[in-house]
Amino acid sequence: MDKRESMWDLYLKKGMSRRTFVKSCVALTSLMGLSTDQVSKVVEAAEQKPLPVVVWIHGHECTGCDESFIRSGAPLASDLVLSQIALEYDHLLSAASGAPFEAHLEETIEKYKGNYILCVEGAACTKDNGVYCMSGGHTFTHLLQHAAQNAKAVIAYGTCAVSGGIQAAKPNPTGSSGIGYFTGGTPVVNVPGCPPIPEVMTGVVMHIALFGTVPPLDGEGRPKQFYGNRIHDTCYRRPFFDAGMFAESFDDAGAKAGWCLYKLGCRGPETYNSCGNLRWFQGMSYPIQSGAPCIGCSNAHFWDDGAMTERLPKFGQPIGDVDQIGAVMAAATAVGVAGHAAASVVQKKKRIADEKKNEGAGEE
Amino acid sequence: MKHVVVDPVTRIEGHLRVEVQVDEATGKVTDALSSGTAWRGLELVMKDRDPRDAWAYIQRICGVCTTAHALGAVRAVEDALGITIPKNAHYIRNIMAATLTVQDHIVHFYHLHALDWVSPLEAAAADPIATANLQNTVLNTYKLPFRAPGTSVTEAFEHDFPAATPQYFAQIQEKVKAIVESGQLGIFSANWWDHPDYKLLPPEVHLLAVAHYLEMLDKQRELVTPHVIFGGKNPHPHYVVGGMPCSISLEDGNAPVNTARLDIVDRAINMGRSLVNNYYLPDLLAIGSAYVKAGRVDGGGMAKTCVLGYGAYPEEPFSGTKNGGFFKNLLIRCNGVVEDFGKGLAGCKVTEVNGEDFADRKVFTESVDHSWYEYPAKSEAALNPWDGVTSPKYTGPKEGSATEWKALNETGKYSWLKTPKWNGKLCEVGPLARYIIIYVKAKKGLLGELTWAEKMMMDQIDAVSKVLGLAPEVWLPTMVGRTAARALDCQLAAEINKYFFDKLIANLKTGDTKVASNEKWDPSTWPKECEGVGIYEAPRGALSHYIAIKDGKTDNYQCIVPTTWSACPRDDKAGHGAYEMAMMDTQVKVPDKPLEIVKVVRSFDPCMACATHMFNAKGEKINVITTDPYSGTHVEK
Repeated sequence: MDKRESMWDLYLKKGMSRRTFVKSCVALTSLMGLSTDQVSKVVEAAEQKPLPVVVWIHGHECTGCDESFIRSGAPLASDLVLSQIALEYDHLLSAASGAPFEAHLEETIEKYKGNYILCVEGAACTKDNGVYCMSGGHTFTHLLQHAAQNAKAVIAYGTCAVSGGIQAAKPNPTGSSGIGYFTGGTPVVNVPGCPPIPEVMTGVVMHIALFGTVPPLDGEGRPKQFYGNRIHDTCYRRPFFDAGMFAESFDDAGAKAGWCLYKLGCRGPETYNSCGNLRWFQGMSYPIQSGAPCIGCSNAHFWDDGAMTERLPKFGQPIGDVDQIGAVMAAATAVGVAGHAAASVVQKKKRIADEKKNEGAGEE
Repeated sequence: MKHVVVDPVTRIEGHLRVEVQVDEATGKVTDALSSGTAWRGLELVMKDRDPRDAWAYIQRICGVCTTAHALGAVRAVEDALGITIPKNAHYIRNIMAATLTVQDHIVHFYHLHALDWVSPLEAAAADPIATANLQNTVLNTYKLPFRAPGTSVTEAFEHDFPAATPQYFAQIQEKVKAIVESGQLGIFSANWWDHPDYKLLPPEVHLLAVAHYLEMLDKQRELVTPHVIFGGKNPHPHYVVGGMPCSISLEDGNAPVNTARLDIVDRAINMGRSLVNNYYLPDLLAIGSAYVKAGRVDGGGMAKTCVLGYGAYPEEPFSGTKNGGFFKNLLIRCNGVVEDFGKGLAGCKVTEVNGEDFADRKVFTESVDHSWYEYPAKSEAALNPWDGVTSPKYTGPKEGSATEWKALNETGKYSWLKTPKWNGKLCEVGPLARYIIIYVKAKKGLLGELTWAEKMMMDQIDAVSKVLGLAPEVWLPTMVGRTAARALDCQLAAEINKYFFDKLIANLKTGDTKVASNEKWDPSTWPKECEGVGIYEAPRGALSHYIAIKDGKTDNYQCIVPTTWSACPRDDKAGHGAYEMAMMDTQVKVPDKPLEIVKVVRSFDPCMACATHMFNAKGEKINVITTDPYSGTHVEK
């Protein structure tokens, strides 16, 4: 462990100046949404902390989260994987296979007990003792429990790991769930999204690499800096919502002009994510900017929240006045905002009721 | 005889286990088993969903071939509802598809496959000056100059060019050495680096490839920006039934697509061309030719006996799949099956695949002899997907327990993949299949005048044959050939990307900016019951999605995906699956370190999440879906 290099060691080796190093730290500080008075803390962290050991395991998943991770623009995946962390186990990128790879996992868990970060991509399959998700000859849940209880912290990457995701959608054939039931007392950072934004994924690891601690979390275990806003709050089309200017169908004049997609089913008003501010590919776009209504992919159980192209009021309490917002703009905005909150709550209640109903049906 | 297990097989998508029997004296693999060890049941999740949302759900089959299943889904729904999409949407979808192919193949070669061929430990011994010289030689010797004729040139020079300076390679080498010396190998830990295969190439090739591994890891993200512009994000961009959601306006600053946005797409397309022409193909040919010269022309397996393709890139919007519309204006007419390619051009046989083959329930079937499912006693041994009975029967392993395996049961059930068949035969699919089919069809005069893309494929095959000094019949059906065909497919896709971008611009010039057809958006305009098929030549090969719609809802959803074709377990009548055949056609030097086995398996670019099938959680038969062109589709509960 002594041999692992800190970021500053790496800069020294590369023959880069202290000035360049500090500049990088300043960039990182802003990337992580911290105020400038935190720069000295970042510098301190980058100078002293050895590279954290990361183990990345896969349950019921599609590898979209891995793919998103390597799309990160800052930090670049190459820099992160080779210089900021020691990625000791990952099915996508690791060279090794089979028995020696599994033995290396065991050695890593033993050697860095209580000290490594466990990244989990994918849901935990629980039906029939988990036989529908086997790896290395064991069930995934067996591996998950073992790796989580010895980890310093767990990062649940993607909606599947956080809340079960697509395979947990009704009728949840494999009894899949989020990984939270299997992580024991180890702290868990929830990073939902299908997949999460690349720089959000790498940003969480960078925070741990630099500060040696998990980022500040909200009540649902999500990093506040990335999940503190609803997409609606920071959406570049928000002024059109407030002005009552909506696309009424795909590719109509409003859609071409970039008006609000709320009437095409947009879930921005109930979805906490960084799509509106960070956006994808470092500000290039996000679904709404590309004309596609948000499907709420960072919300737990969003797959079961009704038809995607129908807007929220159809599934909950109607925001009756959304069609008249243009007429009474100021008032309607206030009502509209309240309405979203109400609709989200109603929708959640409806989902819980549905689940209860289905459980009942299953017993018949 | 030694029984060797590799589980997990890494650097793939999903969960795969292989087991082989190796004769230690000869290195011959006498039996091989490929098992998909996880299963998520997504098709079952589709039941009763809004068919207009199907693309979003089913796209989550796979995040590596993201967009592939979304495209399969919208095509299936549009086939069912009789929707022909606008020209712009069609061109944009083809750009989405070609973009995926370019990026996916590059990531496969450098990040999933390369470490089977090259080693950072070997790279540490390279001379940086010799490596810089090697870079020049590789470019001078192996750059293939093929381009789509008449496509636009929007860059002054190639911006993405490999560095060939000693300092660059010295820097990379220093980093690699630092990692090795730290003892903290990270992603390079615990591999069979002392395997003799890593000595097959000189150290400079290792350093060159490791440098490009890192460079491509940085650059691959920029290749998919067309997905971000047209679909809002990547992985998992957005689609819409009837076209694309990305409205185009050359008058509105807030428009999803305008000139500035198109310029981002064009830049990515140019970059894709440069990366495949200057890095991927030359590197691949340098490594591949060394292997061929060392006599490594094994690993072909089923490529020698049976390959399948569906056809790729309809030039213009088409009216449907079942009615044959899809097949009428294909840029690449690889729709067909070639049997016995190993016997040469004279000895092989071609059979066309067309719309009627998707309606005839005897053509495409699936069996479950060795899959953890069972069919009712009275049913046929192989059933069409539409008649498919999916009733799980998990039997556990031969040795070990249900949740702790030692050895799977090759004589019984051992995989969550079913075994798909074409007229009772197993097939290999993928870029290699596409190239073999076009080559044979063209040589046998079955294509008439070749399209520019088909002509380019023939030119590529010709050029590689000259480089390797072997006839196509010899080098194509091998492990190297499978990996080389993917690189050729990547170069072709990069050109196709530009071709459809030019078509998009030309159409926009006419004043047509339409991207979505809304006439059949409202379910009240739909028939009470209908069915559709969507097909697509995905990066890994022939993909088909089937949807049955009833009362405005998804009544049944089925897919047969490329990795199911290639990674399936054996069939009692038809024999081993393609992965198994390829492993059995591969020599193993060190049975304890079966690098050749994982290398030949990775030459298929496995995507396991795609390959698994649906089941009922309670272990009951779910339903029997019957589709008949005369009596229609119905579901027996």
